[in-house]
Amino acid sequence: MTAIYHYFTDPILRAPTIGSMLMCLTAALVGVLVFLRKRSLLGETLSHATYPGVTLAVVIVATMLSEEWLAPFILVGAFISSLLGLFAVDALKKYFNVRDDSALCFVLASFFGIGLTIASRVQFSHPQEYRQIQSYLYGQAATMTDFHILLYGVLSILVIAIGALFYKEFKITTFDANYAKSLGIGVRLFDSLLFLLIVISVVVGIKSVGVVLMSAMLIAPAAAARQFSNRMSRILLIAGIIGMVSGFLGNYLSNEFSIYLAESNRGIQGGIRGSLPTGPSIVVVSGTICFLSLLFAPERGLIPRYIRIAFFRLRRLEENLLKTVWRINLDGEVELSEILSSHSRSKTSLQLCLWKLKWDGLVSKRGKKVALTSKGRKKASHIVRLHRLWEVYLVNSLGLGVERVHRNAEEMEHIITPDLEKKLTELLEDPLEDPHKQPIPRNGGA
Amino acid sequence: MLIGYYNPYSSATFLDFFTTLLKRVGSWITGHALEMASDEIQLAVLTLVAISCALVGTFLVLRKMTMLANALSHTILLGIVAAYIILMNFVAVENPEEAFNVPFLIIAALCTGLLTTFLTEFLSKVIKLQEDASIGLVFTTLFALGVILVTLFTRNVHIGTEIVMGNVDALKKSDIQIAVSVLLINMIFFTLFFKEFKISTFDSNLSKALGISPIFFNYLLMVLASLTTVGAFRAVGVLMVLALITGPVLTARLFTHRLGTLLALSSLVGFLASLFGVALSRHFLTVYHLPLSTGGVVVTVIVFFYLLAIVFSPYKGLIKRSFYYRKFQLMHKK
Repeated sequence: MTAIYHYFTDPILRAPTIGSMLMCLTAALVGVLVFLRKRSLLGETLSHATYPGVTLAVVIVATMLSEEWLAPFILVGAFISSLLGLFAVDALKKYFNVRDDSALCFVLASFFGIGLTIASRVQFSHPQEYRQIQSYLYGQAATMTDFHILLYGVLSILVIAIGALFYKEFKITTFDANYAKSLGIGVRLFDSLLFLLIVISVVVGIKSVGVVLMSAMLIAPAAAARQFSNRMSRILLIAGIIGMVSGFLGNYLSNEFSIYLAESNRGIQGGIRGSLPTGPSIVVVSGTICFLSLLFAPERGLIPRYIRIAFFRLRRLEENLLKTVWRINLDGEVELSEILSSHSRSKTSLQLCLWKLKWDGLVSKRGKKVALTSKGRKKASHIVRLHRLWEVYLVNSLGLGVERVHRNAEEMEHIITPDLEKKLTELLEDPLEDPHKQPIPRNGGA
Repeated sequence: MLIGYYNPYSSATFLDFFTTLLKRVGSWITGHALEMASDEIQLAVLTLVAISCALVGTFLVLRKMTMLANALSHTILLGIVAAYIILMNFVAVENPEEAFNVPFLIIAALCTGLLTTFLTEFLSKVIKLQEDASIGLVFTTLFALGVILVTLFTRNVHIGTEIVMGNVDALKKSDIQIAVSVLLINMIFFTLFFKEFKISTFDSNLSKALGISPIFFNYLLMVLASLTTVGAFRAVGVLMVLALITGPVLTARLFTHRLGTLLALSSLVGFLASLFGVALSRHFLTVYHLPLSTGGVVVTVIVFFYLLAIVFSPYKGLIKRSFYYRKFQLMHKK
């Protein structure tokens, strides 16, 4: 085990860790803007479009220049070819009526193919450089140096500074382009600026995550953060944190697991070799975080949503049962079988529900007979009151036919809040009868 | 198969390539038994794959589903790993190279198609994540998982890169059989259900009214697309497949508005691109001693074709446009 702080101090470990974290932070922040504009797949195309630039840079440096030119050359090459990819997508869409998805896909694949052709030029003549090109496919964080931290640090700060400086403009152009126009904000200018930010974050990212997987770092933190908040500033904050955490955890896991593999020296099917690649690990970590937040985020997550639905269903069934008892015999005892036969639900769920009602002190049960307690009577008559009030409202205020209102009221009686009830009572001047000439129970008791 | 002990195409230039090819095909037709040279195997596989891709691609492009194809082509890595593990455990294949046969492909394609489609649908329909993000999220995460599994489980460390980049030089005769079967399956389905595909592509309401389920044909197309991609990855890799899928169709689209012609024309473009690609990469090797990746050259040729089409297209071509523009200006002067 390596202590966690070693990842920030150790001269070999700190460059990949800090570099990945910076890169993930940048990508996550830009990713939020892209995600909110529903252009997430653009990142995919732009990251693949960097490939010919990277390969060309490596080939040029390998055949003509000395080693130390490599890093800046790759950055510039990636930047230019990614921009070219952006223009190509734009031109295809604008001048040749190609649809968005086909244009993205075509540019992605063709740039990649051209990049590969260039790369194969040095396949045999410069195997060292060829391996370096290949490492840009899935990224190779391990080869980062302190120089990279500096470079990425500057670029990240640049992206964050531009984002912070024009925060308001980005926000308005994202959510309401027309409003932005009316305010005199150049929508096209900020669109181009955003594209530039995407390109920069992609160029920074391909070193650690690689061209194939880069788009994940734009999408996953943003999609995860969106689950937790509706405010853009908070989404940005959460996405940044998620990005940095995945950057760190990806490095941590890949390093720890590789050490484990090397130490244990035994493998599945007798042949585990190599190590856990860092780039894919970062992506898997951020993907996992995203899936977990899609499932479990308190407000918008799938599981909490289902739990809320289940609770609502239970409450509705309880209230309907109370109503049934109330209708059959308000004051006396009711046969259990009579209640069970009046609902189309399974017997067990009804029994369970009755048990819950008894637990809440709303009904009392003696043998096979059920009766409402005074608390239960109050509650039941209140539900009936809501039901009938709503019927009156539908008929009197909305002019619906008397025979059509019952079904809707069956639903609404579970939804109307005390506040709404008060408003309804005022609006309808506290009616005594519903449209079917049934009395409406008074508030606070039968 | 042994390659290189004698290759009739070694030191052939671009034109030599075609004359040699014609000669050899001629003598093959007249009954001389010939051992296939590696260039011929590459040529056969690439042209067959390109035609399959063009057929599937036409419908994918028209249905705006190319990004799903992109997702498929990434998740295939996981599909291949899954099929590999299944085959290792049930059929006990000793050599990983032997695993690449037709049943393997079908299992891999089904795993891939189901995984991708199910997960993206789940994210966008049940969790209600916006569609582009669900596609992007699913395939990148599954692909990353695939890369990790491949490096951990298979002894071949380079299989990850090879799946992405393709390796034409590793193609064998059995790959021709695979490519033929994939093309046959595609052809059979597209001929049998041509009308259904056509209607459900252009007017889903009409197709519903006629009792043709657009959803069913969506899934069928997804399965065919994943089959085609799985069949093609050995030759061109999972990313450049996308160029074979979209490029020829977009090129053909500049010349025709009819579906039948579009299918034929895009197949032709794919075919020619592979032919020229193989010949060109041989030419570069002979003349400039540059061993270029044949798959990459094919894609570059496709891009070149598209650029040509942009210039010469009768509808939207640059020549046509400038011609109209001049005519327009002349009219104004009068």
